[in-house]
This record gives sequence, structure tokens and C-alpha cells, in this order.
Amino acid sequence: MLNKILCVDDDAITLMLCKKVIERVAFANEVLTAKNGEEAINYFNELAPKYQIDQSLSYPKLIFLDLNMPIMNGWEFLDNYLQNTYQDLFTEAKFIVLSSTIDPQDVLKAKSYPMVIDFLSKPITKEMLENLKSGL
Amino acid sequence: MKIYIFGVMKNNSNKITLTYVLILMFVAVLGHQFFLDFSKTSDDSSLYFYIRDFIFILISGIILKIILNQNAQSNKSVFEKLQITNNEIIESNERYDIVAKATSDTIWDWKIEDDSFIWNKGIQGIFGYKKEEVGKTSKWWFERIHPEDSLKMSVKLYSFLEQKTEKWQDEYRFQCADGSYKYVFDRGFLVKDKEGKPIRMIGAIQDITKQKEEEQRLRLLETVITQTKDAVMITDIDTSTEVIPNIIFVNSAFTDMTGYKANEVIGKSPVMFFGPKSDILEFDKLKTAIQDYKECFIETISYKKNGEEFWINFSMIPVTNKDGEHSHWISIQRDVTEEKNKVKEREQLIRELTQNNKDLKQFSYITSHNLRAPLSNLTGLLNLVEDIPVEDPELKEIIDGFSKSTHLLNETINDLVKVVIIKDNPSIQKEKVLIKEIFENVFNQLSFLIGLHKPILKIDLEEVTILNINKSYLESIFLNLLTNAIKYRSEGKQLRINISSKVVNDDLILTFKDNGIGIDLVRNKDKIFGLYQRFHNHPDSKGLGLYLVKSQVEAMGGTITVASAVGKGTTFTITFKNN
Repeated sequence: MLNKILCVDDDAITLMLCKKVIERVAFANEVLTAKNGEEAINYFNELAPKYQIDQSLSYPKLIFLDLNMPIMNGWEFLDNYLQNTYQDLFTEAKFIVLSSTIDPQDVLKAKSYPMVIDFLSKPITKEMLENLKSGL
Repeated sequence: MKIYIFGVMKNNSNKITLTYVLILMFVAVLGHQFFLDFSKTSDDSSLYFYIRDFIFILISGIILKIILNQNAQSNKSVFEKLQITNNEIIESNERYDIVAKATSDTIWDWKIEDDSFIWNKGIQGIFGYKKEEVGKTSKWWFERIHPEDSLKMSVKLYSFLEQKTEKWQDEYRFQCADGSYKYVFDRGFLVKDKEGKPIRMIGAIQDITKQKEEEQRLRLLETVITQTKDAVMITDIDTSTEVIPNIIFVNSAFTDMTGYKANEVIGKSPVMFFGPKSDILEFDKLKTAIQDYKECFIETISYKKNGEEFWINFSMIPVTNKDGEHSHWISIQRDVTEEKNKVKEREQLIRELTQNNKDLKQFSYITSHNLRAPLSNLTGLLNLVEDIPVEDPELKEIIDGFSKSTHLLNETINDLVKVVIIKDNPSIQKEKVLIKEIFENVFNQLSFLIGLHKPILKIDLEEVTILNINKSYLESIFLNLLTNAIKYRSEGKQLRINISSKVVNDDLILTFKDNGIGIDLVRNKDKIFGLYQRFHNHPDSKGLGLYLVKSQVEAMGGTITVASAVGKGTTFTITFKNN
């Protein structure tokens, strides 16, 4: 079981669904949520200085990221994350793009980010998480 | 002494004088003898008479001789004169013959009064007449002049004969022995008698057929330049004053195009046609080509006389003279403004269409995304509901219906999404795939349906196993066709499905044959592969499957055809170029 998971999505029902499915398969102890890319990057911005001081602090090892969001979308978040070199700080944090997009270009683009390990189509399912569990 | 005299006196005057002297002496001797017989005079006086007569005879002989001599002398000088004249004539005739023989011209000699006409050998050599065919009068000559030329020619000739003109020379067509005509140039002069009346005319005919033909050829070539719709400009090669040499010729099409008359541009450099909007790079290209004596094609804005701009297509080609030396530049120019504008319009249209297409694509992605987002929530939520036991049978029924509708909606949207993706990616990734492998995949996915309906499957894929194709498309095609075959089976009939692949003339042909309910092709021929076309009242039918199949087949460069009979079954034939 993972300790912490972050779900980034502007849709409340999607977030609710994520939480429920994760609970059902006991995938993680704690599910954090963010309503858009900005909230998510703010979370890491706050966490980063503390984590630099205290490496024992926990951070989400898995982040489900939606692409199409207001204020700051998934791409902007990923670019921001890279600019801050958080991938070097939170070395174990892996991203899964969870989206309803069908644009094949989006799939290719998502996989070009080093910290993105997969691109999955909504909705999140129990099978998906079981597979992830065995994969991780 | 007498013998001696006879021997040397060869000329007639000497002979005559001697004969005269001898006869007189003989008469004188006879006379004296006769006189002596009758007069009986003394011998002394007879001797005296003898001597007197002899002296007299001698003197008269000498006088005769002198007279004769003088006469002979004058005769001789007349004779000598005649001799010289004669020699001159012979020489002149010889010279005439030599000239007549040596010249390539055909010489004719016309004695006008008795109309006798003589030709030299040219009439045989050049015009091919046999000696006996050549006529001896001027009529023969006139008859062989081309009818179109004869009137003009005779007018000129007679005015010359009547000495109204000083010189006679003419060009006309003269008939050869074989009936063909040669262009000739004829020059003649008149011989007149003391009264100035023409008695003889001598002419020389030159065969100018080759020159004429060349002239006509050149004239024809010239018409190309003068008549063509393309502007033609010729310049010299002198670049000492301007980078483009001066114009020496322009045709009328040039005037039509630019508004400049020939005399307004000849002697000037084509630099004058360039202006502020002309392409400086193109100009430099032309400049360099001229420096290197190389042909050059440029396209730029040029300026008419009235200042109007136009697009010109300008080619400049170096030409050389007979010795291979660079002598001129020939330039062919065309007003391509209209074409340019059309190209511009087309480019603009393409830009707009591309943008529209992009917008539409974006729109379809966004739409499908926005449809899919709530739908995936629905699907996800229903998945959760499935785990919760529902006691109320009515609620269970409602939730089941809810679930079925959601799944159908999901499938539809997923199919539509596939269509959008296929249409957006004309250049799809192709790979080598094993057809058998794909079938195994498809069978696995449809194992539930196959287990349920137990069709008799006859699969013949021995001939081809490898195909250069997009794997997921082929899988989707097989899946759709197989599902259709099962979905639209005949009730109460054992379902049979035959699937085969074979190579015919390098083409890969895949056939799917079933014995299902079939499609009425007479009514539905045009609609069968259309979007949202349904032919049966089947609950799962969305009208998307065959549209998707056709899109995918075509995206891979293949074709699909259908044959079907209601109640008997349907056969789909897919053809791929297998290279």
C-alpha cells in the first residue's frame, strides 16, 4: 500500500471517484486532492523547502494528473514541475496522466516527460489500480 | 639564172612580172626577126633596136613589178587586219565557251529577230532537261516560267526590250524536266545594232532555290517571333555600360505586354523594367547569369510603361554565332500576374482550409473530451455501484438500465473517437504483422460471443501470414466484421463464417463470408459504408461499424467491397497492395 497519493482534477466527481476506488482496493493510506495545476504546484512549492531540511517527510509517490483544467492545466503543471527540478528532489514521485482526451498527440507528449510513467484513459478502475500495484 | 629566179620568186607578183618580161621579149625578138626579113636593114641598127626594146621591156617590167608589189602590200595589210579580227573573235568565243562552261549559271542567248534561242549546258545539268528536249525558241523559255510569276516577269522583260529600263534582272520560278520548280535569279543584257535596235539578248540564270528556301524558313521562324503571344527581346552582349546589355529587338507581343514601342526601348538596357518592388535577388541571379553567359530564368515584379506593376516570367538564353562565339541574348517573357494571383489565392484558400480543418479537429477533440469526461465518471460510478448489493428489485432494474445505456453510450463515443483519430492521421504507422496472430487476438476478445453462438469457422490463412499494415486497425477491422457476422446471423440456421486470405497479382485479398441475414444492396448500395447507416433492427446496432472498417481500410491504402443477398449471407472483400 502506498502512503500518499495526489489526485489533480478540476472535476469533483472524478476526485470523489478516485478516492472511492483507491479506498476499495486499499491502494493508499491517504489521498490528497488538488483542483488544478496551480494548487498542485503550490503544494510542491510549500513542501519542497521543508523536505530539503527534513528528508524524512513523506510526499506522494504517485500523482494522478488530469490535463484539461482551468487556471493551470496539466501541461503547464508538468513544465513548472520540471523548471523547479522537483523530479530531482522528489525522486520517487511518479505521474500518471489520467484524462479523457483522445488526441494521440497528447499521449505522445505525456510520455515525453521523464516523471510520467503512463497515460490512462478515464475512468479510473479497480483493475487499473491492481495492475499498478503489481507494477510498482 | 632563170631557174634561180623561178626558184626564189615564189610570190605571184614576181611570176607575173617575169612572165610579162619573157612574153614581151619573145614578141620583141619575133618582131625584129620579121622586120629584118622585110627591111633588110643592117645588123648594127637591128642590135640597136634590140637593146632599145630590151631596155624598154625591162623598165616596163620593173614598173609592173613595183605596181604589183605595192598592190600586194596593201592586200597583205588588209589580210593581216582581218586575221587579227578573226583571231579576236575566236578567242572571244573560246572565252565565252570557257566562262559558260565554268559558271554554275545557265546561260541563254536569244537572237531576237529570228527568235532563235540557245542554252548552255546548265539547262541540262541544273534543270535536268535532255539535249533534245531543250527548245530552240523563246516560247519554250516562257512556257517554263511558273504561271504565278510569268505575267510580272514578262512585263519587266518587255519594258527592258523596249529599252524603257536600263537593267534587267528578275526572280521567278522555272520548271525543271521533272515538273518541279526552281527559284532562279536571271540577269541579262541587250546587244543592239547600229540603229540601236535590240537584236540579241544574253542572260544568265542562277539557281537560288536553296537561298529562297532558307529565306522562307527564316521568314517562318521570324513569324514565330513576331506572331507569338510571348514577348521576345533580343539584346547584344555589351555589358560595359549596364549590367544587362542593350536591347536590339523586341516583338509586338512585348509592346502589348509592356506598352513600350520598339523604338522606345531599342538601344536601352532592360534594367529600365525593374523597379522598387522588383525582386533584387532575382535581379542578381540574372546579373550573375549574364556575367557567366549562362541561361537564366527569373520571376519578379516588373513595370509597364504606364508604371503599372505586373509579374513577369523572364528567361534569358545566350546565343552564339556561326563560329560558336557568344553574340546575343534572347529573352522570352510572359506576364504571369494572373497565374501568380491564382497561386496566391489558392495558397490563401489552403491556409484558410488548413486552419478551419485544424479548428474543427480541435473542436472534435474538445467535444469528445467533454463528452467523455462526464461519461467516464458515469462508468466509474456504475462500476462502484456494481459492488454494492441492491435489495429493491425496482431500483436494481433501474440501475441495470442505467448501466446498459451508459455502456452503449460509451461504446458509441469510443467508436466516434476512433473515427476522429483515423481521419486525423492519414499517415499511420505501418508494421509487419502476422495475420494469424491478429485473428487469435480477436478470437480471444470475442471468446464469449463465439462460445455462445458456436459458429462454424473455416479459416484459410495459409497463403499469407505477413502484411505491412497497422496492427490496431486490422484488429479493429477483424473485430467489427466478426462481430457483425455473429450479430446479424440467421435465426434457426447454423452460422458459418469463412475467412480467407490470398495473394493475387501482388495484392493481398481478405474475404469474410457469412450465411447470415444479408443486406438488401439494391436499396442500400450507397449507404452500406456510410456513417450512422443501419440496415437491421438490432438493439446493439449503432451504424458505425462498417463506416469505421471502411475508414480504416482506406487509411491503410486498401479497398473494401461487399456482395450480399438477403437471407443468404454477406461477403466482404478487402484488398491491400502488399508491397
